[in-house]
Amino acid sequence: MVWAGIAITFVGFIAAVGSLGVTSNNSVRMVIVLAGIVASLVGIMGVLNPAYMKHAIWKK
Amino acid sequence: MKQVTLALALICCLEVVGAAQGPAPASTAPSPTQTAAPTVAAATITDADIKGLSGPKAEAKANGDPAGTTTGTVGDIPVGDAKKGLTIGDVVNQVGQNQIAINFVWTLIAGFLVMFMQAGFAAVETGLCRAKNANHTMMMNFMVYGVGMLAYWLIGFAIQEGGVGAVANLGGTAPLNAEHTMHLFGKDLGLWGTKGIMLTGTTYDVGVMVMFLFQMVFMDTALTIVTGTAAERWKYLAFLVSSFVMGAFTYPLFANWAWGGGWLQTLGANFGIGHGYADFAGSGVVHAVGGVTALAMGILIGPRIGKYTRDGKANAIPGHDITMVLLGCFILAFGWFGFNPGSTLGASANGNLRISSIAVNTMLAGMAGSFTAMIYMWTRYGKPDASMTGNGLLAGLVAITAPSGFVNPVASVIIGLIAGVLVCVSVEFVDRVLRIDDPVGAISVHGANGLWGVIAVGLFADGTSNYGGSWNGVTGSVTGLFYGDASQLLAQLLGVATLVGFVFTLSFVLNLVIDLAIGQRVAPEHELEGLDIPEMGALAYPDFVLNEA
Repeated sequence: MVWAGIAITFVGFIAAVGSLGVTSNNSVRMVIVLAGIVASLVGIMGVLNPAYMKHAIWKK
Repeated sequence: MKQVTLALALICCLEVVGAAQGPAPASTAPSPTQTAAPTVAAATITDADIKGLSGPKAEAKANGDPAGTTTGTVGDIPVGDAKKGLTIGDVVNQVGQNQIAINFVWTLIAGFLVMFMQAGFAAVETGLCRAKNANHTMMMNFMVYGVGMLAYWLIGFAIQEGGVGAVANLGGTAPLNAEHTMHLFGKDLGLWGTKGIMLTGTTYDVGVMVMFLFQMVFMDTALTIVTGTAAERWKYLAFLVSSFVMGAFTYPLFANWAWGGGWLQTLGANFGIGHGYADFAGSGVVHAVGGVTALAMGILIGPRIGKYTRDGKANAIPGHDITMVLLGCFILAFGWFGFNPGSTLGASANGNLRISSIAVNTMLAGMAGSFTAMIYMWTRYGKPDASMTGNGLLAGLVAITAPSGFVNPVASVIIGLIAGVLVCVSVEFVDRVLRIDDPVGAISVHGANGLWGVIAVGLFADGTSNYGGSWNGVTGSVTGLFYGDASQLLAQLLGVATLVGFVFTLSFVLNLVIDLAIGQRVAPEHELEGLDIPEMGALAYPDFVLNEA
């Protein structure tokens, strides 16, 4: 799950950069970039962090 | 009479040269009650006309100059050829050198102020930690200066600025002319520079030296942010390695993309997206890079023992010296006068007199942040919390860092007001929802508000700044959504996506490798004892009996 979180986070960035080549319409680019940011935040806060918290020191 | 005519003609000549440097002053028509000034007929001046001009005689100078009226005259202009004497070329060259000298001095002094911010960070972080870790925390902040500088000198500066090209304010920096690019989407996208390793070869240049010093102290600010989040349980050796890697690669890479001629900077020129990613002094490049790296470290290293109960409830672990914290905040606020206004890289020509606005914007945002943070804590918890009020000041300063060169004072206050609330909400979210232990709140101060500052440019930039007629290769002034250009917001959001999606990932993976190789966290028994003895071999306060906390 750690690597899944890292991958989702990075894919969000790729999607945002990809918007530059997919369309020249800035409004569409804005939507794609925002989606990419959300994906990255989900990767960090929703997947990667919980994966580390499973073995947190305060649970031992 | 001839000398008076020649002097007047010379003054006319110098005014023509001055107009070529910048806009001519607005002329005012004389009022009906005033007599119009006599018109001086334009005259062609040759070297022969000024050859005979001289300054005060030696006997007069030996009498002293209490009013300063005879110090600094035509006699002080260096003469290129003693046989020819003073020439027009000598005079014009001196004008050019004076402009660059003003910019050099301004940028260097601003850089010295930013260097002093290291003391501010050291005081804030050490004050927010427990006394048993004070030596260790202070030593991290002390040596991050040296480690970061070494990494940056060896390779980081080259990666960041190796291809930045001509920086007019500093006399051109022409040797920094090698940027590695990737052809993508029909454009050449800059990725990293390759000139300037160890400042050797053609980069042994006075302008490049100014650039190195100024950019180095900014880099170190980003590195020191991470020490706050990982404090009280970070192995000193791991800190050294991690900081070196960040100074050599992580920070310079994003900084190249934003400031060094890289792809984020050229979004406007290449894709018509505003003026490209605009980050005047580094809310994104410095503070958000530091903040997301701190987030990565906070997740990786885990919380301190005792920070959370078995059911995940957060316990407060107070710092040991709140006076040091607030003093550190003042030192940082002082240093920020170098951070933001200094980012013009000059005080002469190219719109650089806007340093006054930038300084005032900086002050106002910091003030506003401290107010809303204080009021938020007072209303929510019944007391004006000192540490969060200090963090509110810092949050406002972080948030205004990117927009400081592009916004007006009202916007600065608004940005700061929001920053003060954001930092409080973010601290609670990180602490209680994400359960990431951040002893100094660095993720919230620098990460959350760094991103807010980046976005604020895309909203509040008012289009009145004019730094030489263009920004990032796009003609005109940076303008945000509220003043008519939504595409600038898109450029800023691409920066946010890169910070959150790429910089975080790179920082996490690099630190994961370090963790697997040497381990990032100290042994539990050392953490409970306090890091001063196990890691540093000496207590910060050997005369005091410390609490068993």
